[in-house]
Amino acid sequence: MLSLIVVLPFLSALLLAIVYLSNTKANRYAFYTIVGVGTPVIMTLLSLIVGYQLLNGSDTIHNTLLQWIDIGDFNISIAFMADRLSVVMISFITFIGTLIHIYAAGYMKEDEAYGKFFAYFNLFMGSMLLLVLADNPIMMFVGWELVGLSSYLLIGFYHHESANITAANKAFILNRVGDFGFIMALALLFVNVGGGGFTFDAIAANISTIDHEMLSLIGILLFVGAMGKSAQIPLYVWLPDAMAGPTPVSALIHAATMVTAGVYMVARYSFLYVEIPDVGIFIASIGAASALFAAIIASYQSDIKKILAYSTMSQLGYMFIAVGLGAYSSGIFHVFTHAFFKALLFMGAGAVIIALHHEQNIFKMGGLKKHLKLVYITMFIATLAISGIPPFAGFFSKDAILVAAFASEHYVIWSVGTVTAMLTAFYMFRMLFTVFHSEQKDEHALQPLPNSMTRPLVILAFGAATAGFLGVNEAYGGSSAINTFLALPDMKLHLSHATEYMIGGLNVILALLGMGLAYKLFAKDAQEAQENTLFKRFAINKFYIDEVYEFFIVKPLLGMSDLIAKVIDPKIFDGFINLNVWAYLRSAGLFTKLQNGKVRYYALYILVGVSAMSYYMLFKLGVM
Amino acid sequence: MMHNILTNIIFLPLLMAVILGVIRAPLKVLKWGAFFSSVLTLFLVLWVAYNFDPHAGMQFIQHSPWIKSSGFSYFIGIDFLSLTMLLLITLLMPPLYIYMMQEERKGYWYNMMLLQTGVTGAVLSLDLVLFYLFWETMLLPIFIMIGKYGSGMRQYNAMKIILMTILGSMTMLFSIMYLGYMHFETTGIWSFALQDLTTIVFDAKTSIWLAAGFLLAFAIKIPLVGFHTWMAPAYGSAPTPAVVIMSSIMAKLGIYGIWRFGFGLFETTLIYYAPTIIVLALIGLLYYAIRAIKEENLRRMFAYSSGSHLSLIALGLFLTNIYAWSGSLYFIGTHALASAGIFIMIGLIYKRFKTVRISDLGGIASKAPIFAFFFAFFALSIAGLPGTGGFVAEILIIIGAFKANIWIGVFTATTMLSAMIYIFWMLQRTLFGQANNNTEFSDLNFREIIMLLPLVILLLLTGIAPSLFTPMFEPQLSVFLQDALHAIGGVK
Repeated sequence: MLSLIVVLPFLSALLLAIVYLSNTKANRYAFYTIVGVGTPVIMTLLSLIVGYQLLNGSDTIHNTLLQWIDIGDFNISIAFMADRLSVVMISFITFIGTLIHIYAAGYMKEDEAYGKFFAYFNLFMGSMLLLVLADNPIMMFVGWELVGLSSYLLIGFYHHESANITAANKAFILNRVGDFGFIMALALLFVNVGGGGFTFDAIAANISTIDHEMLSLIGILLFVGAMGKSAQIPLYVWLPDAMAGPTPVSALIHAATMVTAGVYMVARYSFLYVEIPDVGIFIASIGAASALFAAIIASYQSDIKKILAYSTMSQLGYMFIAVGLGAYSSGIFHVFTHAFFKALLFMGAGAVIIALHHEQNIFKMGGLKKHLKLVYITMFIATLAISGIPPFAGFFSKDAILVAAFASEHYVIWSVGTVTAMLTAFYMFRMLFTVFHSEQKDEHALQPLPNSMTRPLVILAFGAATAGFLGVNEAYGGSSAINTFLALPDMKLHLSHATEYMIGGLNVILALLGMGLAYKLFAKDAQEAQENTLFKRFAINKFYIDEVYEFFIVKPLLGMSDLIAKVIDPKIFDGFINLNVWAYLRSAGLFTKLQNGKVRYYALYILVGVSAMSYYMLFKLGVM
Repeated sequence: MMHNILTNIIFLPLLMAVILGVIRAPLKVLKWGAFFSSVLTLFLVLWVAYNFDPHAGMQFIQHSPWIKSSGFSYFIGIDFLSLTMLLLITLLMPPLYIYMMQEERKGYWYNMMLLQTGVTGAVLSLDLVLFYLFWETMLLPIFIMIGKYGSGMRQYNAMKIILMTILGSMTMLFSIMYLGYMHFETTGIWSFALQDLTTIVFDAKTSIWLAAGFLLAFAIKIPLVGFHTWMAPAYGSAPTPAVVIMSSIMAKLGIYGIWRFGFGLFETTLIYYAPTIIVLALIGLLYYAIRAIKEENLRRMFAYSSGSHLSLIALGLFLTNIYAWSGSLYFIGTHALASAGIFIMIGLIYKRFKTVRISDLGGIASKAPIFAFFFAFFALSIAGLPGTGGFVAEILIIIGAFKANIWIGVFTATTMLSAMIYIFWMLQRTLFGQANNNTEFSDLNFREIIMLLPLVILLLLTGIAPSLFTPMFEPQLSVFLQDALHAIGGVK
């Protein structure tokens, strides 16, 4: 069953690829749709069955497909494991993934590479499920890498534009920088505890045999992997550029798959991170910094997809605050709720973009609330959810994270999170009001939207409104059901209900403030941000981080390549060799001079030779 | 026939060449004759592989004296190491002949047959003089193929590879002769058989000099950094089949030589050289990869790529633990497949466009999607994508490196990054974007797909189910490693 969930999308991707390549011009819309969209539907059903088995049976389900390798102690199988954590993950990955597939069937309908798109899309789903369901770190890494590859293929989907490929390369390369950390962590883990087996269970059992310093190093290196995949400072720069792909791709990357992998990884290794709380604080600090930083940039962007991209990075920051501080369940809870409203926001944005004939600048939109009523209402719900307005989903999950930050007495992180909550409401409503409320800029002749694009919005809106009820705190009359279900090694909270109300109330007031400010500034007459102060200039240009990378990493690398090509290879290495060749030729010249055909010279040579021989013989005979 | 099967495998291509030459075969007969000989050898090798006992050492041994007074003998046999090499050689020949089918120049075909005999003989020889003969034999066709059928500054480049390689051969020949003499000194009989020479006990100083003679030859062949300036010009000038053999087989023979003769004869002394070679290999890993970034000529780019990965293989060899050794051996196989694939693809680009300069390419994916798929597949296998064999090899070497030392581990892990940069940038400029060249670019035809498919399937198989292959070599590799470690431990 588990193997099937993972293998099926790979097979379907292979089938689609072969059929597509056999004749790229053929129009096989029905076939591609049935295979491409049918696969995730089956996967969703299968994961429901797995979830059901888990609720009514043992704690984990194992399933081995085949032995992968067996060298020394390095004995790895292609094997899968479903525990409560992975079941929560696969449930929303397959469910939201399916909705995105349905949406994409409408969005990509006119594209000539429709079959290729679904081959990549299914490959992406398969890779993500391999990552989540792997029962050992190596298979998880394989899934992790394949997710990177699929994102590369999808971001660069419109490959005629070189700029899109640049974005795709950036995504892949920065992800691989993260993977560089990840693989080192895995190698160190193996060297330290691999003797006792290398599945997650076995590692968890032997984790106490590693000394604290080594464990901290491993923890940090693992997190470097997460930084890449989940777009945290400093490896986030690929995420905004990744918007080059078709919008359903953005929805898939940002909501259901890929970026959530980093958070999942920290939660998966929670048995390791509970031993090293110092590293946890480092993770939480990176998370907080990323949350605030992204929120500031988002407040100055004009491209609807870029705003959403930075908002993803910011929300991921919250998740890392949670998992860093040991509130693993809350982190996963936010991953879960975020999946609903972020998928909805991207798909709504995609609908707007399609309706406006591929316009992405929000300041060229406006007044759409009358024309795109359904999109407006659903996106409004999503915006309320992400801004943390109760009772929508984002409120409960974000509140749980901030409560955890406060309870663990990391007040700086908590206040950064709280300020970011206000900014979140501000920039999200800025987008919403500009697109749907502000004055209409020109008479749009809107392109009608197919049902396959609008129906999924309704389902997601329902989720965005209600998903939060799965994890209502005790303070609000719930029982944190999701925390109990996940059963991760969470830290224990000790806060009075009054304090929790204070924290929650503060969040709501700040969010409403941000919303009000956005309404005042953008609901009537929205103006694009101008670069009239130094700070604004920096924020609009994303603090020039791309340029910093260019200057400190890309340029030196290219320069080094040139240096080797133009100096080190030809002048030093070949120089040395050619020096020998030159010396050889010179010595040949010398001997040519000796052999000059003049008898008197030859007589001299004979004299020298005979003298030397006589001398030698006399010496040997002992005469001299 | 099965009695002397290894001899048949070695000399069948040469015999075919001689027969075809004597009867002055017309071109068509020549082509099919060559192809037939390669397929027949492939079947013979598969038979050997099927009957190969992974738990035994040398097998299928054939040993007969040749020139008694001088101790030369015709001594061949096969173990896990030579089997790996042999499989690669014979697997690659048929696709190469398919690739060459439109080649009109007869000499080209004769050279390829001679080349196959040369490399096959070298991996099966257990007598050092015999090994040396084959080692030099394989150089001749390469020299002719670059010098006569190559492109660019072909004669200069052919001379360069020959001179640099022969420098190494000379020092190796000296070491071989001295070893034979030592055997005569101690036992009164001349012998150059590997198994006899291992019994000689030498003092440390002699051993260091003799090992250096061998190491220089192999370091140039691989090539390690500093011994490499012949590489890019030779790859750039050579015709595709020659490039494939150089990168997939001959470079690996350098590694093979260190393994067979280096660790066979001088385990303890190699440990003396280990730090130097590990440092050179780590430098090479990054040096070549960085050099490749700005390379404009695809063949030369993948020449550097090959250098980078061979440095990694050499590194694994000198880390002397089971993970690194398995990784290196595995990498020999998977890299040979992947680089054969990529060089054939580059050859196909050349056939269509008459250029392999990146700035003349672009937009191939829009014109020829199947071609783009295969090209990207091979390029990504070289970058060590999971699901292909290269990933398995790299992860084993990385683990082995961390097992040896955390800093070596960190530098080794940069292989995750080094190949990727030039490969992805190259893909961007060749496959994607707008075409810089209006020439028609036809997609892969059926014959070309058939030629490439075995490589793709093998790369996927080695990546998804390495456990199909590792039992072939793991048992004896462990024994070999234990022997080496035992010898080293004995000195300490």
